[in-house]
Amino acid sequence: MMTEADYYALFESYAQGELAGPARANLEARLAADPALALRYADFTEMTGTLRAYGQRQQTRQQLRSIHAAMLAADAPEEVALPGTKLTHTVNPMLRISRTERKLREFWSGHRATVGVAASVAVMAVFATLLALDIWRTNHLPIPAGYQALRREINNLKQNQKALNNTIKRIDVNVPPLAPVSKFSGTGFALTSEGYIVTSYHVIQDADSVLIEGRNHQRYHAEPVYSDVKHDLAILRITDKKFTGFGRLPYAIKSGQADLGERVYTLGYPREDVVYGEGSLSARSGFEGDTAFYQVSIPVNPGNSGGPLMDERGNLIGVVSGRQNDAQSAAFATKSSYLVHLVDSLAAAKSAATYPYHLPRFGQLAGTGRPQQLKKLQDYVFVVKVFE
Amino acid sequence: MSRGNSSVLTPTDDALIAAIRGGDERALAHLYRLHWPMVSHFVLQNSGTEDDAQDVYQEGVMVFYEKVRDGSLELSCQIKTYLYAVCRRLWLKRLTSKSRFGVRLLDDEEHGVYLNTGAEDDLLAAEEQDRRFATMSEALNHLGEPCRSLLEGFYLLDKSMQDLTAEFGYTNADNAKNQKYKCLVRLKKLFFTHYKEEPI
Repeated sequence: MMTEADYYALFESYAQGELAGPARANLEARLAADPALALRYADFTEMTGTLRAYGQRQQTRQQLRSIHAAMLAADAPEEVALPGTKLTHTVNPMLRISRTERKLREFWSGHRATVGVAASVAVMAVFATLLALDIWRTNHLPIPAGYQALRREINNLKQNQKALNNTIKRIDVNVPPLAPVSKFSGTGFALTSEGYIVTSYHVIQDADSVLIEGRNHQRYHAEPVYSDVKHDLAILRITDKKFTGFGRLPYAIKSGQADLGERVYTLGYPREDVVYGEGSLSARSGFEGDTAFYQVSIPVNPGNSGGPLMDERGNLIGVVSGRQNDAQSAAFATKSSYLVHLVDSLAAAKSAATYPYHLPRFGQLAGTGRPQQLKKLQDYVFVVKVFE
Repeated sequence: MSRGNSSVLTPTDDALIAAIRGGDERALAHLYRLHWPMVSHFVLQNSGTEDDAQDVYQEGVMVFYEKVRDGSLELSCQIKTYLYAVCRRLWLKRLTSKSRFGVRLLDDEEHGVYLNTGAEDDLLAAEEQDRRFATMSEALNHLGEPCRSLLEGFYLLDKSMQDLTAEFGYTNADNAKNQKYKCLVRLKKLFFTHYKEEPI
């Protein structure tokens, strides 16, 4: 009886062609006749074949590795050779990369697309945020909660005019529509006799054109000369040719501060007619402690903005600007000292020859009664109409 | 070697294959050096490292080389394209096994046509072969000494029986041979139990 090892000995000599003729023929006959033996032989050949192929594979792998090493080595000698030869300037920087730099380069070449996309997304996000913030700020910041700037929006008028225009269009298409009606209105008063008008900045904010209308329905075109956003002041100049001057102004502009408790009054146009309002100076600082403003206890309404704030002797001490919504009769007015500063700096900056500023120094209202003061004053208080 | 349409093969390709088949090491080295930049660039571009590229490329060249040595290579395109296809496939496999997400590869324009190279079939065969080798290596590891060294010496390193007899201190070559056959029987058991068990 043959063991399996014996069979293997037989198989091997058969596979190597070492078997003599009769033994060989005998084995072939047995292989053909005996399936179990044939299977055993097949296993033997598969196993030895695999072993040989495995050996070859390992050799090949070794060979490829040495080829790769040789290839890298073939690139490397240039690096060694270069410093020896006389190189004055151009040394290829690629040949001198450190380990970390190589890692970085690999990372970069592998991920540069991703990095690029990420970077552009980040940049876009940053700019979008900045832009959005900017837009939001311009839209929302100027008016703090609880503070109302007192310019009047002429809404019903606008609607009326639209209706009127529509009617006209229906009747006769050839008739041109009426000129646009002002969208906002405020109050303004004469600063100098040469035609400078003071009003609040927020009245003429975003204005396309500005119209000044007096008590006797005289109309002048005006243009903004200077705006002081921080103190809510604007200076306009009447541009009409036919305008000759206001004459001597009856009030003086006070350059100092007014006292607490002083009785004050204002004139303004919260509606079509001039309206008088009276009260006293209740604080020497304005909304949220702003020292550029007075707080006064005059009931004011939208349209009063830009109106003059006068003291008992008829001196101008402020310009009405706004009110606090959540407090009882708390109105705010810009201090006249800021107006004086503004005018002084303007006069110094500009070539005063063209349109000089002559502030009224002496008032004529002191000592007269309130109705007399108002009679003189109301000729110098105007409606400021703004077209957008 | 059967080559259906040898018109697509450049003369240098033909010469190279012939030389490699004849066992010319320099031809293999030349081939290796020739196409390394292409594969290295491809792997680096698709989030691989230099080492990855080397692995993939050597694997690919191995497939090519073994087919050439077998004489079973049926090349219907340039060697370059064939190698590109093989390496691309290999790298794709590695990437998908590494990544949970779907993988898209950036291809070089000039090697875009890789589908008709027959590389897929060759790779399947190569994978089967790899599995066989892995099992064999496993079986050899379990075999224990001196059987393992004996068999490795004879089959893998091509040493003669005389050398092995001397090396392992057997009294004569017949003893060594008998020992070798016994080892083969044990290896057979280990190899076939492992190899057949594994799912295909």
